[in-house]
Amino acid sequence: MKREFQVQRSKFQVHCLLAALCCILIVSLLSCSFKKDQIYRKTMILMDTLITINVVSDSSDKASKAMDRAFDEIGKLDKLLNFFSSSSELSMINRNAGISAVKVSPETLEVIEDAIFVSEKTGGAFDSTIGPEISLWDFHTRKMPDDKTVKERLPLVDYKLIRIDRNKSTVYLEKKGMLIDLGAIAKGYAADKAVEELKRQGITSGLVSCAGDIRAFGLKPDGKPWKIGIKNPRPANKEDEIMATVGLSDMAISTSGDYERFFISNGRRYHHILDPKTGYSAEGCRSVTVIARYGFQTDAFSTGVFVLGPRKGMELLRQMGFEGVIVDKDGGIETTPGLKGRIEFKGNN
Amino acid sequence: MSLRETINGTTAGDRVLFIFLLLVSFIGIFFIKEVLPRGNEVVIEVEGRVAYEYPLDSDRTVKVESRYGHLTVEIRKGKVRVVDASCPNKLCEHQGWVSSGAIVCLPNRISILVGSQEKPKDGAVDATAG
Repeated sequence: MKREFQVQRSKFQVHCLLAALCCILIVSLLSCSFKKDQIYRKTMILMDTLITINVVSDSSDKASKAMDRAFDEIGKLDKLLNFFSSSSELSMINRNAGISAVKVSPETLEVIEDAIFVSEKTGGAFDSTIGPEISLWDFHTRKMPDDKTVKERLPLVDYKLIRIDRNKSTVYLEKKGMLIDLGAIAKGYAADKAVEELKRQGITSGLVSCAGDIRAFGLKPDGKPWKIGIKNPRPANKEDEIMATVGLSDMAISTSGDYERFFISNGRRYHHILDPKTGYSAEGCRSVTVIARYGFQTDAFSTGVFVLGPRKGMELLRQMGFEGVIVDKDGGIETTPGLKGRIEFKGNN
Repeated sequence: MSLRETINGTTAGDRVLFIFLLLVSFIGIFFIKEVLPRGNEVVIEVEGRVAYEYPLDSDRTVKVESRYGHLTVEIRKGKVRVVDASCPNKLCEHQGWVSSGAIVCLPNRISILVGSQEKPKDGAVDATAG
């Protein structure tokens, strides 16, 4: 009897032990599944702006290493393409305008070629040689140039005067005084390069935001696309700052707006998106959002379409097979047909 | 009574209870770490690295320095502002009090991230274009 009781007791203990082990196993599995597919985020100030990288990974170390490598890539581009740094390759090209061709790295060559491609497609509405005009303006101190100087410098704005020798990897600006400013393409291009680096590091899903130039790839841990807000160009209050949201995966998005750097003088809004043909702020739109495969495309085309205005801009988006949203100067909103059902407008928009 | 005697003196029920309590503690630690939201925080990053982390509900004034310049950051009543910046434009100073979001000083390479560090809620955007 006693022996039977002991056997039962030890059986009971074994069952208890097994149950406890099962519990431990379930808890460990649960914690593993929580560790899997987390979003890791890092921000850094580079290219004179705030850059945020999100990656989906099962390991904090792997995510951190990949993000650091991607930031290194952006930092490298910042050194090459910074308009304000005297040691950048871009400054070397600009200093040697009308003097000599400058040997540059493959990245600098590629981004300038990309810029020329967008200039051709937009009929010069996007032009990276806008430097001599943009440097006349200071939107913080409300410095406005005199009309004579604006007109005098217009002949220096012409992307057709950029000479590229791919074999020698050189860039030459034909006229002295010409200045390439890659401010409307470099951040999108940097997002592309950062995504390439993240993929090389084994990351399959992430989001790189170079200020407002964003490139998404893969899906979030919940299986949904990345949710991107589009800024309202005229928010009435803090709750109204986002005009619409759109889900993105394996695409890039950029918005160019007249609200980023601007001042108002005599009832007229002067902002940083200059029309290369006049040297003054383009007037047809309040904001233009472009969605395309690559960041360099969305960054540069959003500027080009802004300058072209709503009608020609929408036509160009259609020709290029891009999606987009244009807010015209009166606040009217037009979207490309492909975005219908994918974009969600908020409130009164 | 020695430890061995104590262990020998326990019944199966005692041991089950012990394992159960141990499990509850582990789950508790895990739950607090992973599931419960962290409180509102102020994270100050200098040149991309976290330099300071403070709770948003404890008032203080901090001087933050980078290779490029310095900022004086004030945390008061759940809000944050830059009181003094060494850069010429002082855009971060003009931004005023912030209770969520970020204050970024580009010239000094300092960013101040304000608010909850918990995972974004449903409906929040992952990034904003523009």
